[in-house]
Amino acid sequence: MSQRLREHIQRTLAGGDKLFSVYITAGFPEKAATLPILQALDAAGVDFVELGIPFSDPIADGPTIQAASTRAIENGTTLPWILEQVAQFRRHSQMPIILMGYLNPVLQYGMERFCRDCQQAGVDGVILPDLPFEEAHALMPFFHAADLDNIYLIAPNTPPARIRLLAEHTTAFLYCTAYTGVTGANRAAEQQTTQFFAALREMVDVPYIIGFGIHSAEQVHRYNAVADGVVVGSAFIRFIQQQPLASIPDAVRTFVKGLTQRKH
Amino acid sequence: MSTPNRDAKSTISNFTHYPDDAGYFDEFGGQFVPEILRPALEELQAAFSKLKQDDAFNRTLREELTHYVGRPTPLYFAANLTRHFGRARIYLKREDLAHTGAHKINNTIGQILLARAMGKRRIIAETGAGQHGVATATVAAKYGLECTIYMGEEDMERQYPNVQRMRMLGATVVGVTSGTRTLKDATNEALRDWLTNVDTTHYIIGSVVGPHPFPALVRHFQKIIGEEAREQIQHQAGKLPDYLVACVGGGSNAIGLFYPFLNDDVQMIGVEAGGIGTGPLQHAATLTYGRPGVFHGMRTYLLQTADGQVQLPYSISAGLDYPGVGPEHSLLKKSGRVQYLAVSDAEALDAAFLLTRLEGIIPALESAHALAYLPKLLPHTTEAEIVIVNLSGRGDKDMQTYIQHMEKEQQNK
Repeated sequence: MSQRLREHIQRTLAGGDKLFSVYITAGFPEKAATLPILQALDAAGVDFVELGIPFSDPIADGPTIQAASTRAIENGTTLPWILEQVAQFRRHSQMPIILMGYLNPVLQYGMERFCRDCQQAGVDGVILPDLPFEEAHALMPFFHAADLDNIYLIAPNTPPARIRLLAEHTTAFLYCTAYTGVTGANRAAEQQTTQFFAALREMVDVPYIIGFGIHSAEQVHRYNAVADGVVVGSAFIRFIQQQPLASIPDAVRTFVKGLTQRKH
Repeated sequence: MSTPNRDAKSTISNFTHYPDDAGYFDEFGGQFVPEILRPALEELQAAFSKLKQDDAFNRTLREELTHYVGRPTPLYFAANLTRHFGRARIYLKREDLAHTGAHKINNTIGQILLARAMGKRRIIAETGAGQHGVATATVAAKYGLECTIYMGEEDMERQYPNVQRMRMLGATVVGVTSGTRTLKDATNEALRDWLTNVDTTHYIIGSVVGPHPFPALVRHFQKIIGEEAREQIQHQAGKLPDYLVACVGGGSNAIGLFYPFLNDDVQMIGVEAGGIGTGPLQHAATLTYGRPGVFHGMRTYLLQTADGQVQLPYSISAGLDYPGVGPEHSLLKKSGRVQYLAVSDAEALDAAFLLTRLEGIIPALESAHALAYLPKLLPHTTEAEIVIVNLSGRGDKDMQTYIQHMEKEQQNK
């Protein structure tokens, strides 16, 4: 487990704050933007970043992240390049970074080599939505050896026994999708799902955060009331693609402030 | 020609007991899907395990196959084609004569009965050539279920008559504009729909691909091809065949034919789409040129870049244009039980015209790939031997491609 990530989460939650994290596809909108975006998110006080490894066939993603993935691949974004960016970022910053993506690029890179190189670059955790618990379990020794958190996802249709199993084995936190569907859908926080998340508190004793389709301060507020924080992805990508490189730091600060009303 | 696989040494003695409980065909298969789909896959597995042993379900299925689909399909001795090559006797398993013109309906009729038993109101499917889309729209019309078909926009252009058939059958055809705008992206879009509407919807996947239990489930409904052929050839020729030949895209017609013969002394050849060359983006020959990866919920052979991005397949045939392949084929390749090789677009076209002119049967371009292996195989056979080719579909949908080919030949004369 990554000490950096775990301590950051504990400190934040112990102080009565909620976690606010952002997903951005690496190499999008251009390769030169990735490092400035990470630095700007850090400066804006984001708790951690999910850095997306682009994949040709992102089945769990809606049109926004699909397009970002396609663009990033066209830009020549590869896993070794992404690890380099993290290593560069790590020289001056301690903001935790989680790599998020689909299994195949990681498999082709080699799971053991991936974990080792993640540790060397300063990656704190991984989220691989198409690597289910049954498959990931055998890989846990690699994650442990590299101090990497492996974060599981659950959804509002996940049965209680399964939730308990995944909560027991996830490290750092549990990632909850706000609905059954793909990323970036335009759905309000429905009462049924907020009730589901509120009930989770009784079931699991790990922190859990909510992602998928979060784009407004009102949603952040409602989900924060029933969880330990949120992840914003598609909305950030739609926003950042309109920003010129030079204005990234200011723009990112405005975006984060708009959703969290935090002062940093 | 490389030696076929009769003497291939394999440590596997029984090929028919796969997959295991976790959905693995040795190292291939599995269930690499987001958590959201897990309850649906478990529900499907439970329903399938129960219903495949249910007398009433099997009786209904059998009746539908007989009176609606038109089974058994003939095993036709192609006397003229046999004479043309002058060696082994060639038989064609006539799946092109099944209702809707291809083997795809064997699977869709089985799966719609499953969907109905699970109380699903809505059906989705992906389609490449449109044959699976038509077969799905057909059974959805018959059983009165709402139906949405995902089809790549490029395929909609190539196979327009099938788009019109699906619409006439009452299905909504959604053109897919992402990625390569072909079968792989249509499958992505169908999976995204399923992630979103998982409670109400059953996804009738069209081939022996995808996460467990789909490869086993689709095989269960397609193996009737081989079961019939096995009985028919023994009745007609008094012995088992020496060779089975079938085309492989996702691989459902090939598994359907091969599976009941896997433990017999029969050589099997899976023919992939060799397109216009052996380089990247020139073919759809996954088993011939690919390497293992994880895609569409399964570990299997895959056309991919060094970085693990899925590569665009190419074939003249929209039904073979898939960068993955059923995980059972990956096992059969790795173990040496089945030999896989590729034939080119041009060879497939020649084979389609040869069959048409000699036997009066216009085959689908997909099936023409299987036929295109005959000129390579037959010189190595004897008159005492028997070859069965799976004629998986008819060629009406490919008339545009065939007409273009004829016009080109006319100009060259």
